[in-house]
Amino acid sequence: MADENSISKDLTLEEFGRFRDFIHHHSGIYLEDTKTDSLRISLITRATRHQFRTLDEYFHLLSSDEDEFKELLNLVTINETSFFRFPAQFDALRDTIIPEIAERKAGGNRQMRVWSAGCSTGEEPYTIAMTLADSGIPGLGWQPQVLGTDVSTKALKVARTAVYPEKALLNLPPEVVARHFEQVPEGHRVAASDRRIVEFGYHNLIKEPYPLALMGNWDVIFCRNVTIYFRLESTKRVVQNFFNCLNEGGYLFIGHSETLTSITDSFEAREIGGVFLYRKPTRTRLFHFPRIEGRPFRSREHGKSAERTHPVRAESPKREPALGTARGPAPAEEGNDIAAMLAQARKHSAAGEPRKALEDVHRVIETDPNNADAYILAAYAHADIGDYDAALSECSRALAINPLLPGARYILGIIHQRQGDQVRAISEFKKTIYIDAEFALAHFNLGNIFKAQGKNDVACREYENALRALKSSAGGQWQEFLGGFDAAVLAVTCERSLLECRKATKAR
Amino acid sequence: MAARILAVDDSPTILEMIKAILLQGGYDVITAADGQEALETARAEMPDLILLDVMLPKLDGYRVCRLLKFDQKYKGIPIIMLTAKTEEQAMATGIRTGANQYLTKPIEPDRLLSAVAEELAKAQG
Repeated sequence: MADENSISKDLTLEEFGRFRDFIHHHSGIYLEDTKTDSLRISLITRATRHQFRTLDEYFHLLSSDEDEFKELLNLVTINETSFFRFPAQFDALRDTIIPEIAERKAGGNRQMRVWSAGCSTGEEPYTIAMTLADSGIPGLGWQPQVLGTDVSTKALKVARTAVYPEKALLNLPPEVVARHFEQVPEGHRVAASDRRIVEFGYHNLIKEPYPLALMGNWDVIFCRNVTIYFRLESTKRVVQNFFNCLNEGGYLFIGHSETLTSITDSFEAREIGGVFLYRKPTRTRLFHFPRIEGRPFRSREHGKSAERTHPVRAESPKREPALGTARGPAPAEEGNDIAAMLAQARKHSAAGEPRKALEDVHRVIETDPNNADAYILAAYAHADIGDYDAALSECSRALAINPLLPGARYILGIIHQRQGDQVRAISEFKKTIYIDAEFALAHFNLGNIFKAQGKNDVACREYENALRALKSSAGGQWQEFLGGFDAAVLAVTCERSLLECRKATKAR
Repeated sequence: MAARILAVDDSPTILEMIKAILLQGGYDVITAADGQEALETARAEMPDLILLDVMLPKLDGYRVCRLLKFDQKYKGIPIIMLTAKTEEQAMATGIRTGANQYLTKPIEPDRLLSAVAEELAKAQG
């Protein structure tokens, strides 16, 4: 442990410049000053791994070991601190963990305490504060508290100012920026209502014993990257300390790509929406975690927060406008923009980038809430991401505007197909073809379903239809749903499946 | 014996196309439609190579990759991840999960087959 303590956790300007120039020279990547913290974390992580006492020793290794250089680069590019980094973790916190803890503690004190360990320049604890606010619990009389700790006093200083450059907010939806930030000359400052619940302090995770103020009574602890900072033995002790500090039923959040397997079995692992969390068991172990249905605490959606005291960007564009908003067709001058935005969305969709397609589509819907094409693209993007509920609702929006949209029918088909409901999938694919006989992908999927059911005759017919449609409607709308593949691949696939089905028919 | 490849994608449409390409290349193909199924199939079948989409229900491709690559028993199986073009951050994450190679969409059959051949050769050599 002593060696881990001995390396300075701060990076001097001179050291930063030296490593930056080296990285620039050998990789072409130029790290801006804003990346100091990311580089600092990466350097300490790697130097600690090699048990170096100074960054100077590490520099020597780096200049002679190409593999080490790659390791460092990977870390530098990953150790981005930003708001809502790995949003699924904050979704899980807001929608499941906070309601669960609130329910469990309902009879006792109404404090909700979260510790962000290794908080760097403060993005994480502020994100947690924003999430606590958005969960709706303050409205029910809860007092959220967030503590951010770190070993870098420089980072903590930045954190306390709560001021971040425009760039740090780039990935945030405008309504989040409007709700949680105020504009200041230097950039954006975290809103006072969020700052008020966050405190910062110096703490070294591997220095024991922990101060009394940290021991006990935490509902949630965030320590992302814990397993990559320290060597195994230290990690085990840090995690054990977290365990001791947590309330029963409290949760530990670790990095998106980390696992506590082989580190501890004190926690119960739990998966929520693809995120792994670790729960400190209550004395009577639960065989099943209570499922919180619905989102009881998330009553205030986008930008309606009563606590919002800072009218930043008053005209902030609203997403997800209510359908049925009475408005006529978009004015002519908006028409071109919409066409361009839709084209962009199609491009992203075809390139297999559903999240980007969704962003484009939302912009279209803001301007033209009755654009059925936009809802179809949104539905496909949601289906691609695996959010079938959202996909279904976008489909019904499209079909409410025009019930004879082959694209919407097709997407309903693929959703049913993925959910294993072949009967409804067949019905929707048939409806697709009824509207547009040349919808090659609908024929293809019908062929696949029939083939899997052993109905080779019917399957043959559908593959033949698909091949015919492929030739005659090369530019058809179905091309949007190829998921990054070329139509030629679809043709080859149809031909191959057709041959297999024919063979099977003859063999019978 | 032909090498056996596990292809993982949640879209049956895309899975069928990948399957056709791989069969064309002379490989045996098994498939899985989500991350959980991918792990179970990998454990049960020990494929020679895995083609893994990033966006998957239940467990995403990165997590699947990481779980396999951190396991002595499975880390030798080459993994090729299929990802969208501009997901640079995603690529960085992918590198840390230990994937052997990335293929960006749009996926061309020749590129797919040569990547598979290359990784299989490396794994055997």
